[in-house]
Amino acid sequence: MLALSLTGCASDPAPTEQLRLTEQAVTQAKAVGADEQIVELAMAEAKLQQAQSAMQRDAFKEARILAEQAELDARLAEARVLTQKSQDQLNELNNRINRLRKQLGAL
Amino acid sequence: MAHKSFQAVKENSDVLRSAPKDVIRAGESLARADRLSSYWGSTDDVSHYAYLSQRYSEIAGQNSALSLNQERAAKLELERQRLQLALREAKLLSVQEQSNWLEEQIVSLATSETERGLVMTLGDVLFDAGQANLKASANRTVLKLVQFLQLNPRRVVRIEGYTDSRGDKLENLELSRARAQTVADVLIDLGIDSKRIEAQGHGESFPVAENASARGRAQNRRVEIVFSDAQGRLGATR
Repeated sequence: MLALSLTGCASDPAPTEQLRLTEQAVTQAKAVGADEQIVELAMAEAKLQQAQSAMQRDAFKEARILAEQAELDARLAEARVLTQKSQDQLNELNNRINRLRKQLGAL
Repeated sequence: MAHKSFQAVKENSDVLRSAPKDVIRAGESLARADRLSSYWGSTDDVSHYAYLSQRYSEIAGQNSALSLNQERAAKLELERQRLQLALREAKLLSVQEQSNWLEEQIVSLATSETERGLVMTLGDVLFDAGQANLKASANRTVLKLVQFLQLNPRRVVRIEGYTDSRGDKLENLELSRARAQTVADVLIDLGIDSKRIEAQGHGESFPVAENASARGRAQNRRVEIVFSDAQGRLGATR
């Protein structure tokens, strides 16, 4: 635990796996339809880019922290899009049910 | 802020039920942030884990909303299907109740209220040329006729066939009879009591137009359906 708190420690391993996970999360969020409108996706992409350049500077701890945050930003973006879609679907169902009730009432 | 968010999701039973993993991770990250906060120089790490905890809480909240929406959508879909079925049945019923409307339709099809009573004309185009067979395009008219007779059980009909004046007189008479009988048979097949139907052929007699032109001849080639009044009284036969 103490090791984690030492900034810039040379013993930090390269967070290759974390970067892979983050890239996956960003791709997944885009695949369900997240775009620049979702603020968390923009954050995820910016942090992922910063993490990648930190990797090149061997600033592994910085890269890991950015990548971890970017992963969750992307996952939140994905969850927001999916929730919004389900809300749209609910609204559409309610519309159709109202139309049906109206027609039934008119008969 | 992360503490508040975690507290909120932890105490929400819907979130716990639908996104337990994210809630657990939010708690773990928060505990980590709390532990780190006791070390000097760890401010960045503390805020990092607080950030992660906050995100896990938000993700848990979204996932919970998602699964609640999905449950609700499944119920609404059943409701929608139930209403759709009810609407279909109601429409069918209303068509059946609109016998008056149907009667008007038949009257408008019949076109002529003559001294023979109400007369409906089936044109030559509903038959195969020179044949007694009804074409599929006659189905609609025939179904309307059947429906009308079912809704007016006391009415009877006389079906009369006619031809133009070309060709052999006897053959024309035979064709006119056969066409009238075809219509009668179809009505009987569709459930109308044969006692309510009579069929006869008049051949070239009683033309409605001159036989000199193709157009006139086409008008003369026809089957007429003469309806009785509501008490079942038919006008005299020709």
